[in-house]
Amino acid sequence: MLGTPFGGHPLTPLCHVAGGDWRSRKKKKKKKKRFSYKNVTAPPVGEHLQKLSFIRAEALLTDKRMKMGSANASSDLSSEVEVDAFRRLFPLRFHERHLLESIRPDARPLGKARDTTLALGAVASADGSALAKIGCTTMLAAIKMEIMTPTTESPDEGCIAIDFHMPPICSPIVRPGRPAEAAPVVSKHSGMINLKELSLVYGKAAWMAYLDIYCLDADGALFDAALLSAVAAFSHLQIPVVSLNDDGRIVENGGKLEKEPVNKEKRKLKLSRIPFSLTCILHKNYILADPTAEEESIMETLVTVVLDSSFQLVSLYKPGGPVLAYTSAVQVSLHLLSSYFDLASSSQTLCCMRPHQMYQIWFCISQM
Amino acid sequence: MAGKSGATPTTYSPSPTTQNKKRPPIFNDVDWVRSDARGFHQCRPAFLRTGAVNAASGSAYAEFGNTKVIVSVFGPRESKKAMMYSDVGRLNCNVSYTTFATPVRGQGSDNKEFSSILHKALEGAIILDSFPKTTVDVFALVLESGGCDLPVVISCASLALADAGIMMYDLVASVSVSCLGKNLVIDPISEEERYQDGSVMISCMPSRNEVTQLTVTGEWSTPKIHEAMELCLDACSKLGKIMRSCLKEATSALQE
Repeated sequence: MLGTPFGGHPLTPLCHVAGGDWRSRKKKKKKKKRFSYKNVTAPPVGEHLQKLSFIRAEALLTDKRMKMGSANASSDLSSEVEVDAFRRLFPLRFHERHLLESIRPDARPLGKARDTTLALGAVASADGSALAKIGCTTMLAAIKMEIMTPTTESPDEGCIAIDFHMPPICSPIVRPGRPAEAAPVVSKHSGMINLKELSLVYGKAAWMAYLDIYCLDADGALFDAALLSAVAAFSHLQIPVVSLNDDGRIVENGGKLEKEPVNKEKRKLKLSRIPFSLTCILHKNYILADPTAEEESIMETLVTVVLDSSFQLVSLYKPGGPVLAYTSAVQVSLHLLSSYFDLASSSQTLCCMRPHQMYQIWFCISQM
Repeated sequence: MAGKSGATPTTYSPSPTTQNKKRPPIFNDVDWVRSDARGFHQCRPAFLRTGAVNAASGSAYAEFGNTKVIVSVFGPRESKKAMMYSDVGRLNCNVSYTTFATPVRGQGSDNKEFSSILHKALEGAIILDSFPKTTVDVFALVLESGGCDLPVVISCASLALADAGIMMYDLVASVSVSCLGKNLVIDPISEEERYQDGSVMISCMPSRNEVTQLTVTGEWSTPKIHEAMELCLDACSKLGKIMRSCLKEATSALQE
């Protein structure tokens, strides 16, 4: 006879975040729609029919938007299908129609970021870990500490190695064995961590912090989520107590106090300037904060602003894109700087609109 | 910062996990207490949840003690161009580990052996005729390895397939039993797996009472293997019930 196998529910932080129920509900709906859409597009649509469906869908869209407020879930299925067909056939027009009314398809205003949650210590096998979730975008960051011999140029400094992974589970466009196209390189923000803190024995041993960030679910604003999870993982990092053995190697001090630990006091890293970021889409005159994957694929101009906790600009990243492309070269050179400044300031106010994130980072630090 | 001198320097882990290969004498005794205070024939509490990854057509998250796994299912979608025409659907499985899943930092590469066993465990349960010419991709990522990784991946994958609406004859539940000295230990943790004399893993469809995949390794006597298989099948049927109730919960939440 067995005891009570597979009972109970350990409510770990990972589970809490991993299975948001409102999300799965929304997903189910989307899935149903997607399926019916496939049937719709199979035959080629004549131009007349196309125009007609466009007008009808536009009317329905307005209708749907009005219904959205009253939470009328039992709306006609056929109209839902048509709106979805419109969304897929004319994605840009679908989104621009929303932008006209200053609303987005997921019922957010233009400048509003999605809900952000953070769970520390999601992985027990790492020295520090965190799970960050911005809307549906999920990032898992974990740090493993290893020992290295410091270089001769900087004998009193440790090292940080950052890797970003897009495993095939996170998105339908990533296949195993092939590198992900849109892997955001999480830049190493100088100033946040003092590498001298990672030193153990001058010139002999120092910490190498391997930070690995895994994207578990890709739904836009990957850089923001990756940075948030990385910072949170560093704030959760607990450096193991180690001592020097007779061979000159550093070993973990497993409770036996035969050797004096090398790092008795340095168990936590001091994070001085904490960076946080916001990605925005520029489309015509609109600025959309915290885009979803769908929005990112349709409107291509992205700007990422990274600020630190004292609201100083750390970095600004704009990887090309069609916006600004049709203004003449003179205008661009004249207005580039000022528009960047405008943008930075407007994004700064947008950053302020993410109190969740700011609060959570500060909360993590205050817990240290 | 990193890579100031170009190449990354060689590093080593300070934890002495690789040194003590010797098996602790405790496992040879008839009576000992498992490190998580479970009985020998008691499984770890199972936590299962569907809909963990929004971008996938179906997904599930499983947590059995310290073993944490996410499985995403994509498709049925177009097969690769190089593939031959096929009347029945294809199943493509991939299992990988994160670099921080194991106590010693790994490479995070694909696990070919686990991928093929996962494929074999699932293909018997899926009605492949229901999606001709297309491929269903099952991708698993082990976030943390705490023992019994493969059985958890298999159970979690069948749940994700159900979440994606792929037609199956039944859910596949998988459980393994380790033989440690004179004792049979169900659902072993990493430490117990490391010192085991033998292990048996059964993947089965509980309500049809059919085994899709069976792996036996190590030294077994006939009565022992009988007992171990009985234990596995019994635990599989109980795990199957939990998986079923997880799916029911998800759909009832959907209807509300």
